[in-house]
Amino acid sequence: MERPRNILLIDDEEDFLETTSRRLRRREFEVKTATRCAEAMPAVIAGWPQVVVLDVMLADTDGMECLRQIKQQAPRLPVVMLTGHASMQASLQGLEHGASDYCLKPIEFEELVEKIIIAYNDASGTQ
Amino acid sequence: MLRFLNRLFRSRSPLGPEAIQSVFREHYRNFRSLLTANNNALELMAEAEEMLESGKPFGMAFVRGNLTALTVNVYKMVHSLVALADGRYAELHERFRIITEHIETILARQPEVSGSAFVLTMDEIDRRVVDQVGAKMANLGEIRNRIGLRVPDGFAITATATQHFMESSHLQDEIKRRLKILDIDDLEALYTVSSGIQDLIRAAPLTDDLDRLIRQHHERLERNAGRSVLVSLRSSALGEDSLHGSFAGQYRTRLKVDATAVAQAYKDIVASKYQSQAIVYRQQRGYRHQDVLMCVGCLAMVDAVVSGVSYSRPPDDPRGPWVVIHAAPGLGTQVVEGSSTYDMLRVSRDPPHDIGERRLADPKAEQACLSDDQIRELAQRSIQIESHFGSPQDIEWAIDASGALFILQSRPIGQVVPAPDDQREPAGRSVDQAPILAGGVTASRGVGAGEVYKVSCALDVLQFPKGAVLVVETPYPEWAVLMNRASAVVSESGQIATHLATVAREFGVPALFDLSGAFARLNKGQTVTVDATACRVYEGRAETLLQSVPHRPNLMEGSPIHRLLKEALALITPLHLTVPDSPYFKPSSCRTLHDITRFCHEKALAEMFNFGHRYGARDKSAKQLVVVNSPSQWWVINLEDGFRPEADLTTPFIRIDDIVSEPMLAIWKGMTAVPWEGPPPVSLRGLGSIIVQSAMNPQLDPAVRSPMSGRNYFLLSRSYCNLSVRLGYHFALAEASFSELLTESYVNFQFQGGAADERRRHRRVRMLGEMLREIDFRVDIKGDSLTARIEKRPVSYLRERLVVLGYLLIHTRQVDMVMDEDGFVGRYMDKIHADIRMIREQLIKETGETTGGTAAQHPAD
Repeated sequence: MERPRNILLIDDEEDFLETTSRRLRRREFEVKTATRCAEAMPAVIAGWPQVVVLDVMLADTDGMECLRQIKQQAPRLPVVMLTGHASMQASLQGLEHGASDYCLKPIEFEELVEKIIIAYNDASGTQ
Repeated sequence: MLRFLNRLFRSRSPLGPEAIQSVFREHYRNFRSLLTANNNALELMAEAEEMLESGKPFGMAFVRGNLTALTVNVYKMVHSLVALADGRYAELHERFRIITEHIETILARQPEVSGSAFVLTMDEIDRRVVDQVGAKMANLGEIRNRIGLRVPDGFAITATATQHFMESSHLQDEIKRRLKILDIDDLEALYTVSSGIQDLIRAAPLTDDLDRLIRQHHERLERNAGRSVLVSLRSSALGEDSLHGSFAGQYRTRLKVDATAVAQAYKDIVASKYQSQAIVYRQQRGYRHQDVLMCVGCLAMVDAVVSGVSYSRPPDDPRGPWVVIHAAPGLGTQVVEGSSTYDMLRVSRDPPHDIGERRLADPKAEQACLSDDQIRELAQRSIQIESHFGSPQDIEWAIDASGALFILQSRPIGQVVPAPDDQREPAGRSVDQAPILAGGVTASRGVGAGEVYKVSCALDVLQFPKGAVLVVETPYPEWAVLMNRASAVVSESGQIATHLATVAREFGVPALFDLSGAFARLNKGQTVTVDATACRVYEGRAETLLQSVPHRPNLMEGSPIHRLLKEALALITPLHLTVPDSPYFKPSSCRTLHDITRFCHEKALAEMFNFGHRYGARDKSAKQLVVVNSPSQWWVINLEDGFRPEADLTTPFIRIDDIVSEPMLAIWKGMTAVPWEGPPPVSLRGLGSIIVQSAMNPQLDPAVRSPMSGRNYFLLSRSYCNLSVRLGYHFALAEASFSELLTESYVNFQFQGGAADERRRHRRVRMLGEMLREIDFRVDIKGDSLTARIEKRPVSYLRERLVVLGYLLIHTRQVDMVMDEDGFVGRYMDKIHADIRMIREQLIKETGETTGGTAAQHPAD
């Protein structure tokens, strides 16, 4: 399994961003964070992230809209979606719009790392 | 790898080798993705089924979380298969959509409220309006209007009214949000969320129309009485007081409320739906918060001179021939809240209702606070109410200064855990040691042990350790929040009529009440055994007593959330697609998510198997395995990097030394570790059974099975192996994936069939299941088919299990024929156990690894 290097975390919960990015950096990932979609898009447009972890609740818009914007710019960029509110309908909507995976919070850190690696490897096969 | 693919596809395909290679890589990626999703889906289904059976409490968060994750994985499987099969099986999308929409409908179901009245008067109330006024008020209406007994004048504020109030206050979303993130094991958070929500509700204004209606109805009570009237307001929630859950004392009751305070008292009671003990109780008993709708009963206060509770049968002995009456002077709340002692009377159920036992609160008192005539009247009324409702009843009553008896409430006696006959007598007689305390009354039967933890305020509750013995002075209803944590309850005061006793009985927690001196004599941290049945407390753990403890009841069974998950699982777990060769094995036959996963998995394997054929490299796709220079009965298909790069791929053979697939080598090691001594000697009876079965069972004909039938195949890559095998007359499938990622690490095994008759096949499958359980597989047996799984374990752990599985595959074949032979099974099991021990010891020697069974440890982050 190949590991991605650059991870972009987008979430309105600053605590989650802080803790997760610190733990990912300890595992030698490069991490950028954003609480708003608009703040995240320049990095996406620049082609920096290899995997995006995207919460459905953002400070400026909802995650589904942000997913649409990301996929417009970078159709093959793997996006792992996160939500605190489990909903079958919303999860299927996310997958239909091109999310690689749809995970529920709270998520074990180890599981999140695995989801990131799997999403990256699945997507790299298509490129 | 490249060389292999170049050679594999050279000259036969219309595509060039590079294009084929690219297609193959894409197919293989989808195949792996499908396998991971399949693995996750099977695990999630097992988790949900286990939860349903276990009796452990779970809420909607679990149900939604599990089903959402399951949907995501099944969705991925469908997409991967359709991509893998170049667009075939697209009908699966539609099947998936239909099934998931159906599940969503079940999850979204809301309790229905009929009728539009905000307030109903007592003469409008009976069982027909139970979904408007709740069971408590509906029962009271029946008692007044059908049985003709006296109940206080009053009215009910309906579920429609409360829904209207909550909707107009726009609080629902905020309440939902706060509850969704709440972990009820965190008692501090529980109290904060609980009081926060109650404050929101109390502060919200009533709409003008509801406020006006409540006032008008109170004025009507005063007109009827011809004086000012104080009222009591009691919760009468929908779902409350059914046989399934008593909800005893979970909500607030307000007494002596005057005209100016009725509206606020109503909001207090609506808010009490979110008292901490009620939140925990619902979670424990499987109610969604939205399943409980608050209706409120508003009744004129009875100026009681004596009041209490009567049970039409003894609550701890549903077959007992007695009516049990608890009575105290004044208002009845002290009886049910456990805050004072009271007279206890045992009265014959048969007329003329002889009084069998009198235990007075004050032993020096000359007579009970009830006259003999009143006692007999109460017994008679209790039986009358029981016969109307058709089950033993727990009845609250009051008698006013004129001697008139009012019935205030009646509900079925809470779920009693019947004691086995051998526990009816004091269990204490079988214990050598003397008790440190003896006496009191059995509030809930059973035996429990743990460290003493004394509780006298909310702060103590927060620190209460799981499994401790709850010791209190007074059994207040608030302590019910600890019923999911306490191993037993001991109270200095209180009787079996208290709310806490009712809840303890429901939860199957042993409870010993009215044990004087208990609070002072028992010390915090001291380990004790409470034998509530025998009314004794012992120092330390009395193991002989504890061993006879019956299982706690499955409290979730029959509750709304349990029913909802069960209904949803009926669309998820049953497997209808079992025979891949059947014409029925097609997308349109998939009725459950499990059917879809089964179909996807089977077809994905077939797609990978047929890839060579479809792309014009059929004769090169499968190679016969060569072991010690002679061809075996095993064929190998290399999916990716399962062969050594130097292997000679120009011949139709592959040497075992050229295989580098780790899971395959592990299975192979087990298959060849101990030479097979041939089939066990078969008696004439066994042989007869095989011949008859062979003639009758078409599934035993290898020619009718899947594209892979007739031969035994390994599909493999370096980290993956799928083995389809027909050994003797049975079919087995072993699949394993080794990965540094736990999500992708698993061993999956299926086994079906055999040549002997059904009974012997079943015995063989059970024997195999037992051996697999011994090495930590999760085993599921249905008829003569077995599935066994282990997932999310480190590679060294899985490798060891796979070696043993390889051994079992070879050495359990054909034992079904001799499953009836006397003494055979025992001898055979002994040999198998000895072989497995030897194999595991040898593995440890080779690798220096022990595989204790824990998941991989990661460094702290």
